Amino acid sequence: MPEPVIASVGASPLGRTDLPGRDLFSVALAEAFDGLPDPADLVEAVYVGNQSESYEHQIMYGTLLAEWAGLRHVPAERVEGCAAAGALALRHAVKDVRNGEHEAVLACGVEKMTSAGTSGATDALSAAFDRAIEQRSGITAPSQYALLAQRYLHETDATERDLAEIAVKNHANAAHNPRAQFPKEIDVATVLDSDPIAPPLKLFDCAPVGDGAAAVLVTTEELAADLDRPQVRVAGSGASANNIAVAERDMTDIAGARIAAETAYEEAGIDATDVDFAEVHDAFTVCEALLAEAVGFAPSGMGYQSYREPAERADGWTDVQLSPSGGLKARGHPIGATGLLQALEAYEQLTGAAGDRAVEGAETALLLNEGGVADAVTVGHVLTTAEAP
Amino acid sequence: MSDADLDATDPRTLPGFFDALADGELLGGVCADCGQVLLPPRPACYACGSRAVDVEPQSHDGEIYTYTAVHTPPPAFAADAPYTVAVVALADGGRLLGRVAADYADVAIGDPVELTVREPTAAEREVALDYETDWPVHVFEPR
Ligand SMILES: [Zn+2]
Repeated sequence: MPEPVIASVGASPLGRTDLPGRDLFSVALAEAFDGLPDPADLVEAVYVGNQSESYEHQIMYGTLLAEWAGLRHVPAERVEGCAAAGALALRHAVKDVRNGEHEAVLACGVEKMTSAGTSGATDALSAAFDRAIEQRSGITAPSQYALLAQRYLHETDATERDLAEIAVKNHANAAHNPRAQFPKEIDVATVLDSDPIAPPLKLFDCAPVGDGAAAVLVTTEELAADLDRPQVRVAGSGASANNIAVAERDMTDIAGARIAAETAYEEAGIDATDVDFAEVHDAFTVCEALLAEAVGFAPSGMGYQSYREPAERADGWTDVQLSPSGGLKARGHPIGATGLLQALEAYEQLTGAAGDRAVEGAETALLLNEGGVADAVTVGHVLTTAEAP
Repeated sequence: MSDADLDATDPRTLPGFFDALADGELLGGVCADCGQVLLPPRPACYACGSRAVDVEPQSHDGEIYTYTAVHTPPPAFAADAPYTVAVVALADGGRLLGRVAADYADVAIGDPVELTVREPTAAEREVALDYETDWPVHVFEPR
């Protein structure tokens, strides 16, 4: 079987921008194809991660972005899975290359979240929850995750201060990331004193609303070599859906994430201890703690120590670094693009292009992208350097 | 599969479930194979995949499993904020999310609550889809 690799990446600016979605995509695509043949000479299929037509009153994003890339008569489709749409698009591209259907597939994602203000984004995101019970009860994304956080704080030794420290760590990482929406350090008091959003979560526990697009070119090893591109192997991919309603799930054992990660580990022939760094779906601070436990980095109840240096963590923790990009919290979370921004970070880390945020000696990364609340759907990918065994 | 005649009177559909709820009866699906409670009822059990799902009345009594308060509501509920929302563990084994008729500060995990049912308000009807207009709303009252 052909070995799928990432051969190039690009992104638009992240945050509040004056560009609509298709134009954000054009910027991301231009970076990804800098120094390469035109997309029309390479790309055989397009997948677009996109959360919602609420922001731009636009579906048919596969057709639209293929056209804006100069492609015609290729298979192209929008992939929907709320915030996991980006990694689902990547997974489709990887499968197409692996099964020999295509040699080069464009996985991209785009979201124009700032078009209708915070209340517009709140409303659009609430569509990810069960309509009959959850939406009609007035639940929101932060309040869904607050339900998880409240339970997590009840069951473990974690405190609101620990969750705040996770935000502080991710902002410190983002300070070294020129792509980040918030490339600045913050302190614990800033988090703890920020406005209540859904207790125990406060404003600085939450990833921001923002615009953004990302483009990832997935090819065969051979094509990437012909193009003379640094390449990163997609060694494993897994996905798992869980109940739509959070009430019916285990709220502190994120089973979908565990299954998605274990599937990806197994395909890659690794286990959790082999992962040097992970980009995890910290839409809210508590997610990082829960996901660290779910994917085997931390013992049960100890995931909240993710902000600590490896030597300071409880026994049973691996020495993984979490979200060197700054994560969703500080790098940014333009919903449909997020899974591909995670892949972009791993590509830069594993090809020596991460500058002063480089994770030393990193060879293996786990990407974990979620949609809906927590593991309503989770996608996991294992990425490795071309040299890794 | 024997659900080809499933219609809106069947409590394994949302109209059927809400019709019963409007009459004050909370119906749950109960898996005949593994016992999993499904709220609302549906044709298949997520826990084991069985399609042998019985529909049975569920106790209205429960305990707060986890809770929060919504300070940044969707536009449709802006007038209500902040309001308390919880996941409640019901006495018959199911768990259900809903509003709690109490201030956040007065709620704690483990608190006993009772499910009550009311008609939708004018504001709720305003934002309802056509087929949802008369669906009742459940609220957990502290006991
Ligand atoms: Zn069952």
